[in-house]
Amino acid sequence: MLKDFFMLAARSITHRKMRSWLTVIGVFIGITAVVALISIGLGLDQTIKQQVAGVFGVDTFVLVPKGSFGPQRHTGTSAEEYALDLQYLKSIPGVKVAAAVRQRTGFVQGPTKADGTSTQGFLPVMGLSTELMNEFESFTGKLAVQPGGRLFVAGDVDVAVLGTDTAKRLGAKVGDSILVAGDDKKELTLTVVGIMKPSDEGTSSKTNRGFSAGMSPGQNKDTIYVPYDTMSLLWGKANDVLVTLVRTQPGADVNKVADLVEKDLRARGSEISAITYSDVSDAIGTMTSTVSAFLAGIAGIALLVGGVGVMNTMFTSVLERTKEIGVMKAVGAKNSHILTIFLIESGLMGLVGGVVGTLLGLGLSAVASTFIGRFFGVHMAVVASPSLILITLAGSFSLGAFAGLWPAWRASRLPVVDALRYE
Amino acid sequence: MSLLDLKDATKDYKLGKTVIVRALRGLDVHIEKGEIVAIMGPSGSGKSTLMHILGCVDTPTAGEASIEGTQIKSLSERQLVALRGRKIGFVFQTFNLMQTLSAQQNVELPMIFQGIKKKERAQRALDLLTKVGLERRAHHRPNELSGGERQRVAIARALANDPDILLADEPTGNLDSESGGTILELLKRMSTEYGKTVIIVTHDPDAAAIATRTIRLHDGRVVEEVRNA
Repeated sequence: MLKDFFMLAARSITHRKMRSWLTVIGVFIGITAVVALISIGLGLDQTIKQQVAGVFGVDTFVLVPKGSFGPQRHTGTSAEEYALDLQYLKSIPGVKVAAAVRQRTGFVQGPTKADGTSTQGFLPVMGLSTELMNEFESFTGKLAVQPGGRLFVAGDVDVAVLGTDTAKRLGAKVGDSILVAGDDKKELTLTVVGIMKPSDEGTSSKTNRGFSAGMSPGQNKDTIYVPYDTMSLLWGKANDVLVTLVRTQPGADVNKVADLVEKDLRARGSEISAITYSDVSDAIGTMTSTVSAFLAGIAGIALLVGGVGVMNTMFTSVLERTKEIGVMKAVGAKNSHILTIFLIESGLMGLVGGVVGTLLGLGLSAVASTFIGRFFGVHMAVVASPSLILITLAGSFSLGAFAGLWPAWRASRLPVVDALRYE
Repeated sequence: MSLLDLKDATKDYKLGKTVIVRALRGLDVHIEKGEIVAIMGPSGSGKSTLMHILGCVDTPTAGEASIEGTQIKSLSERQLVALRGRKIGFVFQTFNLMQTLSAQQNVELPMIFQGIKKKERAQRALDLLTKVGLERRAHHRPNELSGGERQRVAIARALANDPDILLADEPTGNLDSESGGTILELLKRMSTEYGKTVIIVTHDPDAAAIATRTIRLHDGRVVEEVRNA
């Protein structure tokens, strides 16, 4: 019997092609918006998480100034630098490799030129652990110096690598000596062993993986790089660390090691927070789901308008078919039969709107992904999960049926005599 | 006990909040099984109201209406629906076929509501269309049929659930005399060959001519009852 009711409802829809299509358009605009926005939201979330996972891997975490990550960031008390005992950190169980970056501004004097003068001034000086160069490429990007130079190796002390702009400004080349002054009249003469290759802007997204770009020495062209330990000869104990990267022993639980490191280092006066992949991923999830919910809310309004459209169509339909309803009742239709037929009819319009809307929505999100991907230089995933599609289709049928509920109920309640008399 | 009994039946309609229209003013009508009854009278005489009450789609304001001895008032809405579905077939002046359905599907419609299986339904619909001489038009939609053909489809539909009573409201009102004649002939056959009780509400003297009895109404009262030979 239900099959026959579907047939009756479908006949009635196709009989009023124009109006049915207009109603369906009202529904599918809403559905398109919802599907596209949810799909883009999910794709964004997935893409960003993949990027972050690519940078962090499964065994790495980052030490950042306490309060500079997560919700507590808004308290305004966050520090920009922190103190760190790198040797101690390396001795904490579970830690395999640790590398840190510290930064100061120091007085620098370039090599003596042919006319006996030399360029001097204050420049940022960055201390890099040797491990940073070769162990954490996913964070730093591929580091490279110009031909004829080299990066730091273990055991280097009195050496420096210059950023491209710094080298130009000081007039220094590989093999030259420069003077760097630290606190308390401490100063060192350093040999320039390399000049950074300027990072190619075009390919930076591939080598630097998005968010970690700021960490890359290749991009700070006006900086002087020295070995991490050399920094302490100039400025003493490390209380100016910007960031520390830690890789755990194989098989160790990265979150447990991160907790232990955070606790131990805090006990020794380091104001740090340990950030693992799951922390970043959670934060991104919170952000993207908030954005998605907001967008879906807007799309929901469009959907509501579509629903009202279905309701309007169904009311009109009930009115103009009053006599038909009377006839059906006269030939033996129960109220529940009439109700079912009208509900199926409005549900079907919702469902057709849902099918069209889902297809258009997925198409739209694929187009949007391509644009976003091209704009940010990433491959953005198009998420079309079966559950999203199923929920959308079931939802659009329910939307239609729900919008048709009242008109259908009114139709089913029409007294036969009145309906038969209706002209 | 007749098939249909009306005793001192009255029917009032409210127009707006205060105006009351008396459509029937104390009617006694008894209809026996197998009769062909023509109900005649000018517009506003209460013909349609009487037919609706006889068809169990309406109840009298006062007085009694019963079908095979059962008081219509004592039946629930659900029982009334079942009764109409099985015992009574309607034929309307404007045919009232579903424009979206073929002739055969229109005939099947009452059987759908009775929950009859598709195969049986289709066979019976075809049989009925054959009875009214439209077996070749089974797959045509109403707008592809002439007025007379449409009314024959409507009669086939009225017969779908093999009812005892066939109620026809001005069945020839929208037809030319030739088509009208065919329809009346068909209605008459329903009574003579298949034993149906046929009640025809009509202005048409030809319709009255096939009736075994004519009831004439005026201002909601029976003014004349003629038994035809």
